[in-house]
Amino acid sequence: MSTQRQATSASQTPHISPAELSYLYTSLSLPQNPIRPDGRSATQFRPLTAETDLLPGTNGSARVGFADGTQAIVGVKAEVERTVVGAAASYTLAEAEGAGDLDGEGGEGSGSAAGAGAATAGHGSWVQMSIEIPGFRDDDALPVFLAEMMREPLVESVSSGSKGASGDGEKEMEGGLKGRLVINRRWHWRLYIDVLLLSQPLSYPLPLLSLTTHLALLATKLPKLKSKGEEDPFFDDDWNAAEYLYPRASSSFPKFGGSAAGGVPPPVQHVRPPVTLLVIAVGDNVIFDPNREEIAVADTVLAISVTRDGGSEGGLKLLSIRTIDPPSRLTQPGVPNSENVATLGATAGAAGSEEQQPAAATAVLNPVTGEEEVPGVWRPRRGGVKRRTVAKMVKLVLEKGGVGEEVLEGLESVEVG
Amino acid sequence: MPLDTSTTYPLTKLRLDGRRWNELRLLQAQISTNPASSGSSYLAMGNTAIICSVHGPAEGRRGDASGGSAGSSGAVVEVDVNVAGFAGVDRKRRAGGSDKQSSRIGTILRSAFQSHLHTYLYPHSTISIHVSVLSADGSLLAAAVNACTLALVDAGIPMPGLLCACTAGMSGSASTPRDPTNDFLDPLLDLSLPEEQELPFLTVGTTTTVPVGEAAMIHDDEDEMKVSMLTMDSKVHCSYVETMLAVGIDGCKQIREILEGVIKKSARR
Repeated sequence: MSTQRQATSASQTPHISPAELSYLYTSLSLPQNPIRPDGRSATQFRPLTAETDLLPGTNGSARVGFADGTQAIVGVKAEVERTVVGAAASYTLAEAEGAGDLDGEGGEGSGSAAGAGAATAGHGSWVQMSIEIPGFRDDDALPVFLAEMMREPLVESVSSGSKGASGDGEKEMEGGLKGRLVINRRWHWRLYIDVLLLSQPLSYPLPLLSLTTHLALLATKLPKLKSKGEEDPFFDDDWNAAEYLYPRASSSFPKFGGSAAGGVPPPVQHVRPPVTLLVIAVGDNVIFDPNREEIAVADTVLAISVTRDGGSEGGLKLLSIRTIDPPSRLTQPGVPNSENVATLGATAGAAGSEEQQPAAATAVLNPVTGEEEVPGVWRPRRGGVKRRTVAKMVKLVLEKGGVGEEVLEGLESVEVG
Repeated sequence: MPLDTSTTYPLTKLRLDGRRWNELRLLQAQISTNPASSGSSYLAMGNTAIICSVHGPAEGRRGDASGGSAGSSGAVVEVDVNVAGFAGVDRKRRAGGSDKQSSRIGTILRSAFQSHLHTYLYPHSTISIHVSVLSADGSLLAAAVNACTLALVDAGIPMPGLLCACTAGMSGSASTPRDPTNDFLDPLLDLSLPEEQELPFLTVGTTTTVPVGEAAMIHDDEDEMKVSMLTMDSKVHCSYVETMLAVGIDGCKQIREILEGVIKKSARR
């Protein structure tokens, strides 16, 4: 238990022998077409079931179940909170008032504009995320790390095109999620995202939790604001009038209308919460949605967060990349015959003068790690990523018709609301 | 706002949610909801929703100091209760691990099922139960017991009979001795959260031993029901306890029928 708790790396390493690890590594690093233990292709995801709006007591909720039986439930709750005006904001206000006093009408206008700018900025701490994993305390390393890894891209995702030409959804979502939480200068929403993992993590739970959070946020509704401007906020009692946290395009918008015409299908929503994908590199291959055994032999484990760009052409935008400590570092190394005391005599006796030749031939330079390796003998990865590998992973996620688009389209097809 | 039961109930004889004194809330349950565990269940009593999953009986954890010697005569039951942050009306913030309420429910569940299950069949092993409260609206302990029973049945762990629990309360504070000539207080069955907060209540759990062998021939028509669990946190005059118990046990009987229906339905599939 104690070792499990301290595991900050991708997940507890499964008990696999060095020979098995080596076999797995070899089949996953086969050039061009890796052979995965469950027969998937490199970019294929495991099947999953999803539903949203299952908890009536929350602003938004979702449940996702993977085929291996792991399930997660996410509930989003929103509370109204008084904004504590920080030093910077109060300075802006004082400035604005001062300007107003000096210049009269014109200064007043510019001052209020500056104040509004400060108010719409929002603050990252208004989004709070906590993750419950059975067997872990919620201040253990793994839940805290996972929560921060998912909160960061969520808070930082600001539509890039908001200044220039933008879709109708984008105007409402100016300043990203942080901006959406601002009610007025004195009040804001605080968002609590609680993630429950219902079973022990069989594989690294990040993709599961990220997809569930994504769906829950899409389903999240906030009550309609009735008060105006700087009044104390009060809201419409009618829950049917509530507005989605992530605004929808109008229903008259043709869903996938462009695909029939042969063009790029327009996304149903311009602004969406980010999705974090787990990507591993084994040899020269890049593999998506790895299971626990595959992570155990990975050279590199990356968590890549993407979201819709916001433009009408529906491109993807990279939000963050995080490397995750690959657990292969902690595995037991295999011992090659040439170094094994038990078999040393046998090889020396059998081969005689020939013995030097095959030994020199067997040690191969692994082009990825730059280390000498004997094929079939497991050597734990020491970490380190080639820039080329990272670039390849990111490209596979972001490219048109790539994995990121596929995942987001799959999530769009889930009925929300 | 006259929303408290103690003032409106004597006038209308209807509770806050429109039930009469002896009515249960809508009870819905599913079995085998999570394929990754040995047994799992989902149970909703009114707006209280609970997911329960059982792992084991399995070998105890290696790192545990007590793992080797403890449970040498039978399985050890471990219960982990987690009340989700979004379960209540307001989001509850907790410092670090678990709060008082969930650890208390966990302890009661553990002692109830430790003595209820046939643990002697699994020496040196652990049965771990994980309870997640998705939404809390009163009768948490009772709902947790019922959910655990279903999950344990799903896991195929032998027990003498279903352990079903229910809450019962009084429609007033009931702090003075009962007056048989002027009895205006009614017992209430299956309390919801607002009722639970203002009225005295108890949680009772009963079980029936399924008659086996010779016993089956002797007790043929008699439905023998045993109280195996009883907790009470609030204060009530002792003269009311009997009424509350009788109503609670009757509620357990109704719940048992519903749970049996759920189990039979899942077996038919």
